[in-house]
Amino acid sequence: MAKRRVEPGRGRKPGVVKSAKKPAANRAFFVIIAVIAIVGIAALTYLSTRPKAGTTIGFDPSLPKVESQGYVMGSPNAKLEVTEFGDYECPQCGRFATLTESDVRQRLVNTGEIRYRYIDFPLDMHRNTWNASIAAACADKQGKFWEMHDAIFASQDQWDGEATDNPNKVLKQVAARIPGINTDSFNVCLDTKQTQPKVQAHYQLSMARKIAATPTFFIGTQKFEGFLPYDEFKRHVEEELAKTAPGAGNVGGDSTKSAPLKKPGT
Amino acid sequence: MTKRMWMALISVAGLLLGIYLTLYKFGFIGTLACGVTSCETVQTSRWSVFLGLPVATWGAGFYATMLILTIAGLQERYVDSRGLALAMMVLTGWGVLFTAWLNYLEGFVIHAWCEWCLGSAAMVLLLFVLSVLDFRELREVGEE
Repeated sequence: MAKRRVEPGRGRKPGVVKSAKKPAANRAFFVIIAVIAIVGIAALTYLSTRPKAGTTIGFDPSLPKVESQGYVMGSPNAKLEVTEFGDYECPQCGRFATLTESDVRQRLVNTGEIRYRYIDFPLDMHRNTWNASIAAACADKQGKFWEMHDAIFASQDQWDGEATDNPNKVLKQVAARIPGINTDSFNVCLDTKQTQPKVQAHYQLSMARKIAATPTFFIGTQKFEGFLPYDEFKRHVEEELAKTAPGAGNVGGDSTKSAPLKKPGT
Repeated sequence: MTKRMWMALISVAGLLLGIYLTLYKFGFIGTLACGVTSCETVQTSRWSVFLGLPVATWGAGFYATMLILTIAGLQERYVDSRGLALAMMVLTGWGVLFTAWLNYLEGFVIHAWCEWCLGSAAMVLLLFVLSVLDFRELREVGEE
């Protein structure tokens, strides 16, 4: 068999050239590597420091602190509380909201089996998500949180960071389609970021709970990350109900501010 | 160009990619450049974090280690080091297994693909093939 061709400079036996690599060639190669690295680092530096339109909203420690435990739907007497930590710009949260959540509300919340809590966790990687959380909180001021929550998720591809640099414009259009909402006061609320302290309170709750992904669900004693189809969601609820004595199912979060059945908002 | 030179080049490219995705994960980049696949879905899924660190950061660490090893392997002192070749083969072999697991998650659990992750998978596979060839070549020379 023919011998494998050996790169110059390799081999330990006498007579085999120890290193025939030309230093000059190596130097040229290292220069190429260095140039690629420098150009790459420069590009990454540009990408990470360039001004990003629509990203002006983020956590602002100078804002006054407010107390808020998220938005609750369902009976205060429900056997179990489920808490979702969600991000409006997260695709899996959108998938859950549009595919699973209506069944959850209809079959588990409205029947009094569970109480459902939503807590904002706007992730840094999503440039328009703070706008959406603030918009939902503005709708909550008019008792329209869940309607806005649903509308925001349903229109995610119209206002997210890939779709627009002006999310507030789209979010106002989304809100305007909600029956009974006062668009003037909503728009003022959104433009002046009136509800940002509330969103920040939710963000801090999420940080305190060490949430690492969205959506994250606390169903009784169990924690789940990522999308859940209804059957799986229901199975986890039933498991928790089976092992929890009636009235002892509040594990998902502080439920001191529960709302009556079907009433949206905090 | 020797195999180790190619490996060094691939490692630089992989390192830059790992840093890019890490910066995205920590919110420094804004929107991820992603043409035809669902990078966002993959990068925000629960499987995008491994042992408390973004998978992209682990990837950057992997490529940085490979870059150091390959550059060391280009120095005259280590050019015929079978130990170094073995280390690179083991490391890239582990990288291939880890990448295969990530690709399985993308295809069968998350049901979304990320073109950057697929690019990285191709690079890891290429690094493994080159390191196997490199190791075999040194072993054969040693046996002469």
